[in-house]
Order: sequence, then structure tokens, then C-alpha cells
Amino acid sequence: MSAAAAIAAPAPVSDTRRSGLALVVLLIAPIALVNALGFLVPVLNLARMSFYEVEPTGAMREVYTLATWLTVFQDTFYAELILNSITVSLGITLLTLVCSYPIALYLHRSSGTWRTILLVLVISPLLTSAVVRTYGWIAILSDSGLVNNALSAIGIAPLRLMFNKTGVVIGLTEILMPYMILALLAGFGRLDPRIEEAASTLGAPPFTIFRRIILPLTLPGIALGCLLCFVLAVSSFITPKLLGGGRVFLLATEIYDQAIVTLNWPLAATLSILVLVIFGGALVLYTRALRAIM
Amino acid sequence: MQTSTKFAIAAAIAAGLSSHSAMAQQTVTLMAYSGLFQERYTKAVVEPFMKANPGIKIEYFPMPNSAQMLGNLRAQKAAPQADVAIMDVSVSKAATDEKLLVKIDEKTSPNVADLFSAARIADVDGVAVTFDNLVMLYNSDVVKEAPTSWMDLADKKYAGKVAIPGMPDIQGLSLVLILEKARGGYNHIRSVDKGIAAMGEIAPNVQTWEPKPEVYPVIISGQAVIGAGWNARAQVNADSSNGKLKAVLPQEGSVFQINTINHVAGGPGKEATAKFIDYALSPEAQKAFTESMFYAPTNAKALISEAAIARTAVKSMDKVIPVDWIALAKVREPIMDQWRRKVIPLSR
Repeated sequence: MSAAAAIAAPAPVSDTRRSGLALVVLLIAPIALVNALGFLVPVLNLARMSFYEVEPTGAMREVYTLATWLTVFQDTFYAELILNSITVSLGITLLTLVCSYPIALYLHRSSGTWRTILLVLVISPLLTSAVVRTYGWIAILSDSGLVNNALSAIGIAPLRLMFNKTGVVIGLTEILMPYMILALLAGFGRLDPRIEEAASTLGAPPFTIFRRIILPLTLPGIALGCLLCFVLAVSSFITPKLLGGGRVFLLATEIYDQAIVTLNWPLAATLSILVLVIFGGALVLYTRALRAIM
Repeated sequence: MQTSTKFAIAAAIAAGLSSHSAMAQQTVTLMAYSGLFQERYTKAVVEPFMKANPGIKIEYFPMPNSAQMLGNLRAQKAAPQADVAIMDVSVSKAATDEKLLVKIDEKTSPNVADLFSAARIADVDGVAVTFDNLVMLYNSDVVKEAPTSWMDLADKKYAGKVAIPGMPDIQGLSLVLILEKARGGYNHIRSVDKGIAAMGEIAPNVQTWEPKPEVYPVIISGQAVIGAGWNARAQVNADSSNGKLKAVLPQEGSVFQINTINHVAGGPGKEATAKFIDYALSPEAQKAFTESMFYAPTNAKALISEAAIARTAVKSMDKVIPVDWIALAKVREPIMDQWRRKVIPLSR
């Protein structure tokens, strides 16, 4: 309608644009307000708290100091912690991608009732809380669990599958798979079976079709899924707490310990801000990757 | 945020309910541990108090741990909703330093005069309401002979079967202090090198440093067979598991964990608050709760049944290593650092 009006009378174009802009502002305002109150204010509060002074007993004083930030930058434990969080989360993201990609591709190609059934199956784990699913993994991975019982039945010595990094990686990968599959599906829009058929008609073997056509066309979905899963992996703490056995040191679990057990709120706040910085970095990488793909 | 919202709702409902009663009923909000503690404390102390004082209603506001109680007190500093908080002594110290509490002494609560000296902690506004101690736990279906030493945890036959709530939890810290003393250390404030070294010998056997939801069910279920935990909960779990879980006080001894009762500054309960706190410290309340949950009493005049007292550390006071938790808080970070670098790597 606005295009028709523009052709009929060139003069009011700017007016139309202006009212369009006003509408956009009006539509964005509520969510901007909610985000400002529900997200920005608490984050700023957190940032302020990271500069508060804290006594060894946990008593906090509203006196500003750089002490906590200096500790975080000077103590190598925190550098290891950040590095460990990033590498473990990247590993989980990659594993989730590898496990989810074939499923997403199959789902994308299926149709009708079958597709609906499969989609429900993919989404259904999200209806159960991560805590319950993690306890499920404990039953499967423990020394006398399903996997180790099966292994001992065929004469293989039991493996240490949980209360270590392996357990955390297995648990989180399964928990994040639905998110990855949904993100991949959302990003598969450009994948058209007719292009694959054309390539096949022209004599391309299946692997070449995958490498030259399917993979490039699904990159936006891959980028989105990886961003989502990385962010969720870095911030998850229930699964690492339950499956890590106190041996896996991650940012999220350390924030929990500092806030709830040690009572060092400024340190917890500092580490939380660092997590936000990591998320910012991931977002920058994502937009760059997206620009390169598109 | 979430908990404080729930708190506000609970307080609002409580206020709404009490305004309906014809009498001007006073409401005292008690913030204390959730779960087993809530269940037993309500029956043993809260309900008898309300029966004796029909004009006062005690609203139990459960919290999973002391840190979250402090979080609530901080968030409500301007307009406190809670009147009484039962929490760990080190958290009480932080709350004292932040001026969130009112001092409890003989003047506000006559029963304070009868408390053991260890129940009155210097520079803390609250006073001890329960003592608990670290005990060794084992699954009696698997471990046939009762262990006698903490170092039995390092026995090769328990490889991968040991569950200890590790640091920063104070149960892990307590074990380091006990082992430090056992290995000839004389001042755990200055150094815990020997204790850390002994923990390092136990570490390869440890299955988990984070038994969840608690260490007791993990050992009852047989996922782990031996470990460390708090006496009171261990005793209750020993009963509920029909003796499958057993608790012993090893020869090297133990340390006390102290829960304090605290009067929140500016709470709405006023004089009813002081009345409840005094009752919580009274011989009868102390007796009832010890007989119900096996925390050692803090009131020296509490006459507790032989059967119950035998299940606390009261009869083995010579085995209890004194710990100044407030002084220890100052060196907790370096101990934590040693734990991370010298104990955890040995358990991988």
C-alpha cells in the first residue's frame, strides 16, 4: 500500500517513512522496556557488585575496589577456568552438531505425519527438566549402570563414564541436541531438493553433492545451532554439578560455588560479567561467520 | 530475586491470614533450612511454642542453605520480612558485619546464660542453637566391619567407592582439619599441609566430591559405600534406611559445625521474636530437637534421654577438635587453593 501511495504522490514519501519508523519504535518499545528492566538493570547491578569490597567472612561492603578483578586476572586458576569452560563447551557444541546434523537433515527431507511424529520425538526431551534427564544419565553411566553392566557382560572392564569430564560431555550433548536440531532446521530454508537432483543428474557422486551443495547451503543453520549450544553449554551448571563429581571446574559451577557456598558475591559477579564477555565474543564470531556465508 | 518474590508472597499471605483472626495475633517469620530440618524443627520446637503462646504465630520460611538466607536478608535490608534466621555461624558472622542482626544476649534472652561457652561466639550477634559434627558413613550391607579411622577411606578396597562433599563445602574442609590434627599439625590456621597430604592419599579412592542430592542416599543406594557427612542427618537416615546406613565417630575425632539462631534487625515480629528465640534456646526445646534429630544441644541444662545423647558427639567431647570458624574464614581461600591443586588432581 505504501508503495502504491509513493508512486501516486512522490511528496508524502518521507511522511510515510517517518510514520513507518514511528511504528517500528512503538512496536519495539515494550520489549526494549522489558529488557531494560529485566536484563540491563540487573546486569549493571552485577557489574557494580563486582567492584564491591568483600571480607574473608563473606561480608560485603559497598566500597569500590579493583581487588576482585585483579585476583581474577592474576590467579592462573581463573585463566584455566575460563579456558577450560571455553574448550569443554566448544567440544560439546561440536559433538552436538555431529550427532544432530544427520537427524536434522533427515527431518528436513521427511514429510507428512512421519515428520510430525519425528519432530515431536525431537522436542519431547525438552518437556522434561535437565535435572531429571541428568539423573537418567547417572543411572546409565554409573559403575553399575546400563553401559558398564553391558560391558562387563561381554568381558570388558568397566569404564569411568561419569564424575569426570566424559560424563559432563555426554550429558550436556544429549541435553543440547534438541536445541541444535531445531536451530539447524530453522537454518535449512535454502536447501532445495531440486538442486541436489540437478547435481545428481549432472553426475555428481553423493559425497560431492554433500560437500559442494548441502553443506554450504546449511551453513547458516550450523552457525545458529553452534551459537545457541555454545551459549547454553557455557551457562549450564546443573549437569556439570551432577555429572562432574567436583572434578570439572567450569565458570558456571564456580559462580554457583562463590555465590552460594563461599559467599564471595563480588567474585561471582566478576565471573558472571566474564561469561557475558565470552557470549559477546561468540556473538561477534557468529555475525562474522554469517556475513561470510551469505 | 525469585526467592525474595516467593518470600514476599508468603509474607503477604501470612499477613492476610493473620489479619482475619479476631485477636491481634503476632506473626514471627522464621527463616531456616528446608527439608528434613523443617519437618523435625516444626514438630519439635515451632508447634509446641505456638501451643504455649496462642497469640503468636510462627511462619516457617524454608531456605535450602545459609547463603540464600543471607541473600534474602541483604535484599530486604530496607524492609525486613524475616524475624529469625537459623544459619551457619560463618554466615551469621557476615550478617553481623553487615549490621543485619540484633545482638542476642542474657538481657534479650535469659536462656543464653545457660548455654555452653562454645555456643557464644565472639563478634557474632547470633548464638549457637545446634551443634553437629562430621561422621564417617558406610553402607553396612557392603562394609561388614565398622571402620575405625578416617584413613580407612584411603583403603584400596574402597577404590571408586568413596563419597565426600568436597571443598568449598565445609564438610571437605572439616576433614582436612581433622586429618591435619591426626598427622601432628598443631595450628590449622597457620598450615594445613599435613591434612592436605592425607587428603591426597584418600583422593584416588574418591568417586565423587559432589554427592547429590546429599551424601546419605548416595551411600544407602550403594552407588558409593563409604564417606563423610553430618551426624544429625546421618542418624535420621540411618533410621529411615533401617540401619543400612551407619555412622561412626573415628578415632582421630571430629569437628563441630555450628548453627546459630539470629535476630533480624528491624523485622516485623518485635517482642514476639525475642520470645521465640528464648524458647528455641530453652532446655525443653533443645531436648525436643536433639531427641528428634540428634543435633547436640547448646544449652547445658537440657536433660536429654540417654538413647538420644549417645547418638550425638556429647559423650565424646574429648574427640572434638576445637575450630574457630571465624578465624578460619580468613585462611579459607589459601586452603581452597591447595585443595584444587594438591587434592583434586590426585582423584582424576
